[in-house]
Amino acid sequence: MKLNIKSKDFNIKSSSETPLLWVLRDELGLTGTKYGCGIGVCGTCAVLIDGRAERSCLIPIMGLEKSKIITIEGLSADGLNKLQKAWVDIGVSQCGYCQPGQIITAQDLLNSNPKPTDDDINSAMSNNICRCGTYNKIRQAIHLAAKE
Amino acid sequence: MKNIDYGRRKFAVGAALGIGGIVSGLFTATDLFSEIKSFDKEKKAFSIEPNIWLEIRDDNRIAITIPRSELGQGVRTSLSMITAEELDADWDLILPINAVGDSKYGNQSTGGSTSTRVFWETLRTAGAQARMLLIASAAKLWQIPIEKCRADKSFVYEIDGQRKVPYSELIDIASTLPVPPASSVKLKQPSEFKIIGKTKWHIDNPEIVTGKAIYGSDYRMEGMKYAVVLRPPEIRGTLKSFDDSNAKNIDGYIASYQIPYGIAVVAESTYIARLASVSIKAEWNPGPISTKDSRIITQELINTIGNLPSLPQNTTKTVESVYEVPLLAHATMEPMNAFAHYHNNKCDVWTITQNPQNARTNVANAIGLPLSDVTVNVLLSGGGFGRGHNSDYVEMAALVSKLSGFPIKLFYTKADCIRNDFYRSMSIHSVKAGIDNNGKITGWIHKVASQGNVTASNPDYQVPNIQNLKSSRNYSIPTGPWRSVDSTQVVFVNESLMDELAILANADPLEFRLNITTNSRLKKVLEVLAEKAEWGKKLPDNWGRGIASYVNYGSFAAHVVEVSVSDNGILKVERVVAALDCGIAINPGNIESQFVGSAIDALSTAIKSEITIKNGQIEQSGFHDFQWLTMRESPNVEVHIVPSNLSPGGLGELGFPSVSPALCNAIYDACKIRIKRLPIRHTSLLTSFLDDGKISQSKINIYPNPFENFVNVEFDISSSEFGKIEFSVFDILGNKVFSIEKEYYHEKISEKLNLSHLISGAYSFTLKLGNDKIITKKLIK
Repeated sequence: MKLNIKSKDFNIKSSSETPLLWVLRDELGLTGTKYGCGIGVCGTCAVLIDGRAERSCLIPIMGLEKSKIITIEGLSADGLNKLQKAWVDIGVSQCGYCQPGQIITAQDLLNSNPKPTDDDINSAMSNNICRCGTYNKIRQAIHLAAKE
Repeated sequence: MKNIDYGRRKFAVGAALGIGGIVSGLFTATDLFSEIKSFDKEKKAFSIEPNIWLEIRDDNRIAITIPRSELGQGVRTSLSMITAEELDADWDLILPINAVGDSKYGNQSTGGSTSTRVFWETLRTAGAQARMLLIASAAKLWQIPIEKCRADKSFVYEIDGQRKVPYSELIDIASTLPVPPASSVKLKQPSEFKIIGKTKWHIDNPEIVTGKAIYGSDYRMEGMKYAVVLRPPEIRGTLKSFDDSNAKNIDGYIASYQIPYGIAVVAESTYIARLASVSIKAEWNPGPISTKDSRIITQELINTIGNLPSLPQNTTKTVESVYEVPLLAHATMEPMNAFAHYHNNKCDVWTITQNPQNARTNVANAIGLPLSDVTVNVLLSGGGFGRGHNSDYVEMAALVSKLSGFPIKLFYTKADCIRNDFYRSMSIHSVKAGIDNNGKITGWIHKVASQGNVTASNPDYQVPNIQNLKSSRNYSIPTGPWRSVDSTQVVFVNESLMDELAILANADPLEFRLNITTNSRLKKVLEVLAEKAEWGKKLPDNWGRGIASYVNYGSFAAHVVEVSVSDNGILKVERVVAALDCGIAINPGNIESQFVGSAIDALSTAIKSEITIKNGQIEQSGFHDFQWLTMRESPNVEVHIVPSNLSPGGLGELGFPSVSPALCNAIYDACKIRIKRLPIRHTSLLTSFLDDGKISQSKINIYPNPFENFVNVEFDISSSEFGKIEFSVFDILGNKVFSIEKEYYHEKISEKLNLSHLISGAYSFTLKLGNDKIITKKLIK
């Protein structure tokens, strides 16, 4: 089957029940999308599917043939997008492992709500876990990106 | 993978600790050692051998060896800053290269908040030696005295002249000059710092936010296969037998191997390996604690304590308490993983580890190779917190590569990580302390009973007649270092007890501490904290404020936590203020980030997280039942750094231990409930007047309570209360974890609520009647 990832078509060999996460990582070598919990609890593996942040560890690739998938590597065609730039500018990351998933989730939020309040951000981001405790800076970076 | 052009020429500086070049690093698998050899072939080699700390390359980039592991604490950035400072390097040209595990780098164990302290002098000296050499090279080039040259941002300038030359163009001359001896180096004074003291965000941030950064789990090699591991369900259980015939029908399944830890399942992808592992029928032998659960272990540990000694005779008032602290898993975001390639009787490993030398030794032993034939490369870790001091997963990957003949990527599941960790020990702390007629402490007895090796330490104040005692009992539960080893337990107890004594003495907890603080740096930290946190300012009703301090790693920290506890027992952490003195603040922004992160970590474990055992098995398996604070639940954390020109102290663990006692002291201040068992979620903060709620004339009957899965709720209502009734259950942080709403038009109400999904702890059960009457009762699971 074919998947459209970062505006490019890929021929996929993995079986159709394989979760998208493992197709991205193991078959395509797109390792920017991370494995965190495997049960959709932590948000580390989030990717954009047709503009919405979804947990790639839970989603088999069957049914995604017509979807546009954007991984962290494809968020900006060139360099850093607004969120990525804000993340770098205020130094959000500690270990950084959850941050691709955080940024993807924040992108989903800004797609539907370009000027989110603190409460909007808390609601959108409270299902993503950061074991280093960078939440306050994530919120700050989302506000910063929304201002741009 | 990003390939960096390393340049063809370079020179390097390092202490004489052995032979070899800088090793392959974060960005590429290229072995620099081979580059150095080819460089030799071109007859352009320089005389400086060995090179282990830094290299200046002909593209002007400066490679700096990072001997410690990056776990998120910012070591790649801070050690680079230290080196670049003395080198007068252009920060934008710095390229940190992770060292492989090798004793020539000295102590590579990333723990005990030692990285900066151990390498501060070494790396500054190496940087200064290189700068002196470059200045001497420019002086030679221009035929002027050394005193007429100065260095800045990777250039040497002619003082009072027009000439300048980049470091890279001095490589050839530098390689003909002797490296200045370390003893001749004059290091900068803090007033001369250009890089140190000015925030640099993590040097890997651009790669992290674009998904290009290579963590352990991201390392790939052509032809590699994937492995997962099946482990015994019980702690230290063993494999009896297994049958993989069903797995053989799965496309892409390769083989399974019995290994010391269980069964390794190898396949063409992680997903197939997991699919195959589920189909394998395994029989396991029980472990040594099949009949035990956490409450039994707790009671048995309490039983080992016995009577505590007596306090001095002048004691007029006494506090005696028993504190309980649970097992904790590390729960790194990145599950444990390793890549290993066993080939030609050698083994190359790429992994996450906090001790690559130890991992190298353990791999060599596991697969029967001499140490010299094992290379352990260190990649970015998605968290560490102490977990990476054990190398179980690295050994497994190497062994499976040897057994299968393939390069192997071995990846634990999150459940593997939570259920097969080297836990923070659980411990019981029996304490007894007293004061005299003047409110002065007379004696302090702290006995720890643990299933590990937890040891009580002295409080960081002047306290007479201290006795630290211990007892232990072995339960075969694996334990290991966990962020700020022992201090998460011991300081929680010491600083809670200090608060109990202050209250016993009817003293302000801050004043009480200041009166017995002899260390001027701690005193200053407490004073700064008190000012910034507005200690003494009146708080709103239902709020409380607590303070605690922590001294370790050559650094000083203290926290004030403010909480509110609502009438229905809901805890909210309103504010956290930290003050610290860590000597020279090398990277202030990162210090703040570490302190914010430590506070969230500490609040999470204090309020929520706990590992428990039932029938010899770990009960938790992921972030759903081993919980962490979320963004919504995380308070603002203010961090204040006390300026200092003293040598830097440790930091990565400093910001944790005083948070939990400050929190619990604040809870006491708010509602007079003393938290003696962590996590706090086991203690209901519901105050008694609401706990005795009645509807009309009927008392609510809730049973069983404590409950396991179901709770029956029975009560009568009057006709005026007919209508909608909402049954809700809130956790301690006010998250609504259960709710149903029904309409009633009869007097006798009886409902059976299914609360099997809740984790153990105290909950607030509320009934909301149509007329908006709200009744709250305590529920314990």
